Amino acid sequence: MSPMKEKKDVLQGTLALMVLKTLDVLGPLHGYAIARRIEQISGELLSVNQGTLYPVLLKLEQEGSIASEWGASENNRKARFYRLTRGGRKQLQAESRGWEQTAAIIGRFFVLKADDLK
Amino acid sequence: MRALRRFFKRLGSWARTHQDEERLQAEIEEHLAMQTSENLRAGLSPTEARRQAVLKFGGVEAIKEDYRAQKGLPFLETLAQDTRQTLRRLRKAPSFTITAVLTLALGIGATTSIFTLVHAVLLKSLPVANPAELYRLGKESRCCYTGGYSQDREFSLVSYDLYKFLRDNTKGFAELAAFPAPEPLFGVRRAGSSEAAQSYPGEFVSGNYFTMFDIRPYAGRMLTDTDDQASTPPVAVISYRLWQEKYGSDPSVVGSVFNLNDKPFTVVGITPPDFFGDSLRNSPPDFFLPLNTEPFVETDADLNKVDIHWLDLIGRIQPGANPASIEAEMRVELKQWLGSHWGEMSASDRAKFPSQTLYLTPGGAGISSMREQYEHWLLILMTVSGFVLLIVCANVANLMMVRGMERRRQISLSMALGAQAARVIRQPLTESILLSLFGGAAGLLIAFAATRLILHFAFPAFAGFASVPISASPSMPVLLFAFITSLVTGIAFGIAPAWMATRVDPIEALRGASRSTAGAGSLPRKTLVVLQAALSLVLLSASGLLTAALHNLENQNFGFEQDRRIVAKMNPRLAGYRTDQLSLLYRRIHDSIASIPGASSVALCLYAPLSGGAWGSGVWVDGHPPPGPKDDNSSLWDRVTAGYFDVMGTPIIKGRGISEQDTATSRNVAVINEAFARKFFGNEDPIGKRFGRKPGASREFEVVGVAKDARYVTFSLGRPSGPFFFLPEAQAEYSQGNLGSLFLHDIVILTRPQVNLSIVQVRQAMASVDPNLPVISIRTLREQVATQFTQQRLIARLTSFFGILSLLLASIGLYGLTAYNAGRRVNEIGLRMALGANRGQVVALVLRGAFGLILFGLFIGLPLTFAAGRFLGSQLYGMNPYNPVTTLVAVLALGLSALAASLIPALRASSISPLEALRTE
Repeated sequence: MSPMKEKKDVLQGTLALMVLKTLDVLGPLHGYAIARRIEQISGELLSVNQGTLYPVLLKLEQEGSIASEWGASENNRKARFYRLTRGGRKQLQAESRGWEQTAAIIGRFFVLKADDLK
Repeated sequence: MRALRRFFKRLGSWARTHQDEERLQAEIEEHLAMQTSENLRAGLSPTEARRQAVLKFGGVEAIKEDYRAQKGLPFLETLAQDTRQTLRRLRKAPSFTITAVLTLALGIGATTSIFTLVHAVLLKSLPVANPAELYRLGKESRCCYTGGYSQDREFSLVSYDLYKFLRDNTKGFAELAAFPAPEPLFGVRRAGSSEAAQSYPGEFVSGNYFTMFDIRPYAGRMLTDTDDQASTPPVAVISYRLWQEKYGSDPSVVGSVFNLNDKPFTVVGITPPDFFGDSLRNSPPDFFLPLNTEPFVETDADLNKVDIHWLDLIGRIQPGANPASIEAEMRVELKQWLGSHWGEMSASDRAKFPSQTLYLTPGGAGISSMREQYEHWLLILMTVSGFVLLIVCANVANLMMVRGMERRRQISLSMALGAQAARVIRQPLTESILLSLFGGAAGLLIAFAATRLILHFAFPAFAGFASVPISASPSMPVLLFAFITSLVTGIAFGIAPAWMATRVDPIEALRGASRSTAGAGSLPRKTLVVLQAALSLVLLSASGLLTAALHNLENQNFGFEQDRRIVAKMNPRLAGYRTDQLSLLYRRIHDSIASIPGASSVALCLYAPLSGGAWGSGVWVDGHPPPGPKDDNSSLWDRVTAGYFDVMGTPIIKGRGISEQDTATSRNVAVINEAFARKFFGNEDPIGKRFGRKPGASREFEVVGVAKDARYVTFSLGRPSGPFFFLPEAQAEYSQGNLGSLFLHDIVILTRPQVNLSIVQVRQAMASVDPNLPVISIRTLREQVATQFTQQRLIARLTSFFGILSLLLASIGLYGLTAYNAGRRVNEIGLRMALGANRGQVVALVLRGAFGLILFGLFIGLPLTFAAGRFLGSQLYGMNPYNPVTTLVAVLALGLSALAASLIPALRASSISPLEALRTE
């Protein structure tokens, strides 16, 4: 595997977590709505091509974290709606805990001053 | 868990690719539509709104690609794709495919067939439960009887008394079973049946034999310790094979009475179908009898002789017991037992007492005499077939490379367009592995047929006897072997062409001129041809050596005549004869057969030459100092009736042969052979001298004649015949031991010239003497001699076959390379001819290239042929392994076929017209 791909995998990992959290908070959504939501929350800091969302959605669905079905969008267009499954909720809980722990540890290192270690 | 679920989902979605693509397409469309409408609301023009939406979404194709990669199984997909493509390409080149698959099938088939034998004879365990728990006494297998209280190197055979001592005192064994090393034949007749007795192999076994092997009966019950007592009524167990083949699976066999050597036994059970006793051998036993019935059946019983060692031991150790400590325990017990017989021991036994020891070895394969017997020649055949497989690999690699050359432009184009090297390698590799898997599948068929053929020739079965329990149909390990061999073969011959395929410079290849590729890829192909030449030289000279050795064996001076001699085998024991009835029986047999019109003369003997047996004893010469404990004073001997030497055609060199004047009342005489005279009498005239078979009885026989050396024993065929003496049947010593030697086995009949004596006539003559006396076999002496060399003949023929096959393959390889090179040099040749070269010079040019390779092959192969000669070693029966004649013949054969293979392309190259050649530019 080339290093380029690895980088993408890392990105996909975080993206997956964002998708799960979004669905957890907002309930069933179609792809476009998820993309817009992530854009809004990250405050355009994350310049992701919207298209990359779809492979992530597929992967999550294969893992059983989300499920999808066809439905009608707000303006009555046919759209595919994604919702969190029970397994996905569990995964989200586990991953957010892990993420918080990591963030907390890293955070502690960032506030570290030379004096603290004396 | 999640990964697993994902895998199955992927597998599923891989199957419905099309549907998913549509779904993605719809979702993308939806997404873009929503974004566009939002952009419209933000005030953009319709075109711009759509453009921005697409921009924001990113590259649709890249996303699709990514999506696909997520969705399916990319590895499997490309594999399937490669396979499909390869199959298509192979279909398009049927002649290449057929040639390659057939060549591979030959190589893999040959190797697999030999492996089937190697697996069955050398690797497989007995078909019993937990064979790893079985241990046997002795490092090598010995046969059949050995007397006294010392054994050289190791105590590997034991008497019944010693067995009981070891069994009762060794705690590490859950069960320790015993059975005799010799395998007797029994004259068998179902009680009440009118049929004549027929002989079948059987075995005496201790009562715990079946418990030890953990063998469950197919029907009835197996033998138990209760059966193995002198007082209980005699019972027997019959083999599944005999029950099925001879008695048509008649259920009433269990419980009915069979006469074995005219003694009644009740059959109590049938062994399971796959059980063939304690060792792999040519004809597995059909009857199992309790050891304690041996005195009941045999006239000359060994059971209660404390110092006759004739039993093999196999035991199942207690779970978790340590075989090394059991061995140590048994060594102590052996010394204790020997010590308790100190009074009966001879001086030489006592001298050897400190060195007496024994060994336990893994017994899962049983008493592996067959293993020892066949190990070397199976090893030779395995090596030879491995060589053939190597040559096959080289040949197919060569074919692949030529194909690779043809595809160079295509490959360089795909590489120029950005194809990964890994992907480019994968294609020819897929092709080669696929080819070799096809070859392997076809090879399995060849292997099955070849194994059956080899089994038929290597282990000829007597009519009515069980054949050797080796199956030609591939077992799981054999299938696995064939599969792995095919895979490895595929990689072996595919890797070089595949690697070469990527070594193209896109620009150079795209230039398109055929000349630009000159030289590339030629070196590996040349190396392959050199390798093939070297290997086939080795195989050719090995087959030459083996064939010459076989020729020497078959055409040696046997010391007897083979023409017009017929040998009928019988065994009076099997009809329950007592020793005192024998002389009369022999007389009646002699007279009855001699009265057949075509018979010229008849004689009986214990063993006819090369019939597979002989008796041995020590020799003490009257008037000579007795031999020391280390001196070899052994000789073999035979018991014969009057006129024997004339019937056999063995010349008497001095004195006279055994004749009618030697009777029970005349002085005891012996005829010795030349080797005996040399060994025991040196330069003295042996006639009138006396010798005996026991110390203190050195006046037992008077030498009355010296016969020419003749081959009697079937081993040590590479060495001159050993000492041998002949005793007259009429002077048999009924009072003494060796009662077994009174039962003569072989009847030799000399027929009148130009008379064909039919087997039926002989059988009728025998039946008129006693219908209960089974005739085991009737065949000509020539056949009997020929069967002795079955193994050698088989190995010589197989090696020759492999040698010729490899020569053929190597020639094809050389032809291909020469033709290809000559074709590529058309321009150069044309130029040379235009500049005045004549046809002869062009032919020489091409031949020089081919013969350079062959010379190089010889250079590498010659030292290898000497190594091969050494490796063959004992299979050459004393022939010099560095035989210049066979080497020269092999070199000539290689040279001639190389000439034939390269002359055709050379002549073709020289016949092109210069103009035409230059035009192909």
